[in-house]
Amino acid sequence: VLVPPPSYPAPLYDRVRRELERTILALPLVDASPIPPEPKLMEQFGVSRGTVRRAIAELADDGLLRVEQGRGTYVNHDERIRRVVRERLAAVALPDSRFDLDLKQFVPDFAGRAAAEARVTELPAWRDARTVFLAPDNSLEQLRLQALEAGKKLLVPTYGMRRDFVLLDGAGIAANDRPLAATLDGMERFGRRIDATTVASVDRVDVFATGATAVTTDGRHIGSGWRFLALEWFLLEQEGIVDDAVPVVAVVHDCQVIDEPVQADPDCIVDLIATPTRLIPCSPPTP
Amino acid sequence: VSAADDLTELYRERIWRELQQVARPDSRFHWDFSRFIADFEGSDLCAQRVLALAALRDLGDSRIFVTPDNCLEPLRAELIRRGQPFVMSTYGIVRGFLALDPADVPAGEARYAATLDGFDRYARPVLLAELARGRPFGLLVTGGSAVSRNGVRFGKGHGYFDFEFAVLSELGLVTDTAVVVDVVHDCQYVDDDLAAEAHDVPVDLVVTPTRTLRVEGPPRAPGRVHWELLPGTEFDDLEIVAELRSLDRPSTPTI
Repeated sequence: VLVPPPSYPAPLYDRVRRELERTILALPLVDASPIPPEPKLMEQFGVSRGTVRRAIAELADDGLLRVEQGRGTYVNHDERIRRVVRERLAAVALPDSRFDLDLKQFVPDFAGRAAAEARVTELPAWRDARTVFLAPDNSLEQLRLQALEAGKKLLVPTYGMRRDFVLLDGAGIAANDRPLAATLDGMERFGRRIDATTVASVDRVDVFATGATAVTTDGRHIGSGWRFLALEWFLLEQEGIVDDAVPVVAVVHDCQVIDEPVQADPDCIVDLIATPTRLIPCSPPTP
Repeated sequence: VSAADDLTELYRERIWRELQQVARPDSRFHWDFSRFIADFEGSDLCAQRVLALAALRDLGDSRIFVTPDNCLEPLRAELIRRGQPFVMSTYGIVRGFLALDPADVPAGEARYAATLDGFDRYARPVLLAELARGRPFGLLVTGGSAVSRNGVRFGKGHGYFDFEFAVLSELGLVTDTAVVVDVVHDCQYVDDDLAAEAHDVPVDLVVTPTRTLRVEGPPRAPGRVHWELLPGTEFDDLEIVAELRSLDRPSTPTI
């Protein structure tokens, strides 16, 4: 006998939280004003102070709001951008083999990615590159495959930097093994592990390409929030594997490109953005 | 929390410590055994043992079901090389079931197609309605965190395989003669009898890199979805649960 599940009404604070989040995400991305004070929100939602506080505390806990004692409650720009873009991205994103469409956990592959990829492989810097850095984003899997097929050396961080970097040599991997070697599941079987003690042995990187949660036209790379790319760049820069002269390319869907002058704190600075429709040279960020 | 739960937890913790010595990390979940069933040294030998089972030889036109556990990757690769189609659940059953026809896998890419990343490329999603029109499953293979002498297995602690078995049973796709195989490392075998819960699916065979063990026990009760246990669990939101509810089918007989 099939029993329909009982419905659980969401608690009041949770409904306020969701409504508040919806309002914040609908504001212009450049809006930097504090959210309305508690009494205003109590009136707006017709709820108690305790309920408003609980809703704000939850949003602060998961990073969307920042409570500054005595000043007000502000929106975290990076987190707002991430959430706005993830909503847009849902329409074109392809699921991950483990995380499905939980876009907080990974950077997805997307419809139209092959066209964005072609803009990268047409770059003279890519054609001439002997060693490339490609992020472990799903949107870069096919670019990793192309790097291997072109016989390039490929430096890839493991997911979440849990097992440092892997260095693959496309020339040394059999043709029918390359599709596997380009995946997160397969790359560690074909590559050499590179950690902080061996990173100095890697050749200087000629192209540094990454996916992103979002990227601004003034070159700010906004990642999934864990700042892995910033860590990777730092580790490589220390040993001279990357420097400011290395072209940094973000491969993203058009819906991930932010044209507004937002005050986001970038993981790294991007020179070029490749989308399915355009190649965008980034203007240097204004501090 | 019952005493049986405590004991299961105790074994799970102890075995995960031993498993760390022989296991391989997951591409996403690293060493977090609560989130995936690990591959281990000798899983290729397990695949050879499964392929040698009478249950596979005598499969006839029955089908094979495999879970998306990392330790079953060598088995999946070998099935693909042999041209044997099979059905696999997606991770966490979130995207339901996928069917793979080895004819769709390019030569030389069996190993790639056997990974979760590669499987997505070559398999296609199957709705329950389509599954239900096909032949029943004669062989179901899963991994686990541990399995006991009396065939009680425990997984990551979510109960995915038990639930998959229940859903396939509700569709009439698991016959009385179906064989359930648990592929584990020797360190995951518990030489003790553990108490089973109502929704636990006892296994018929335990396959390790060194042994194939037949589990002695009473015949398995027909599987069913325990609807009363679903509310508030991750299963309640699954698309296949919505589909199962909507399917027009004879209600399961009550015993």
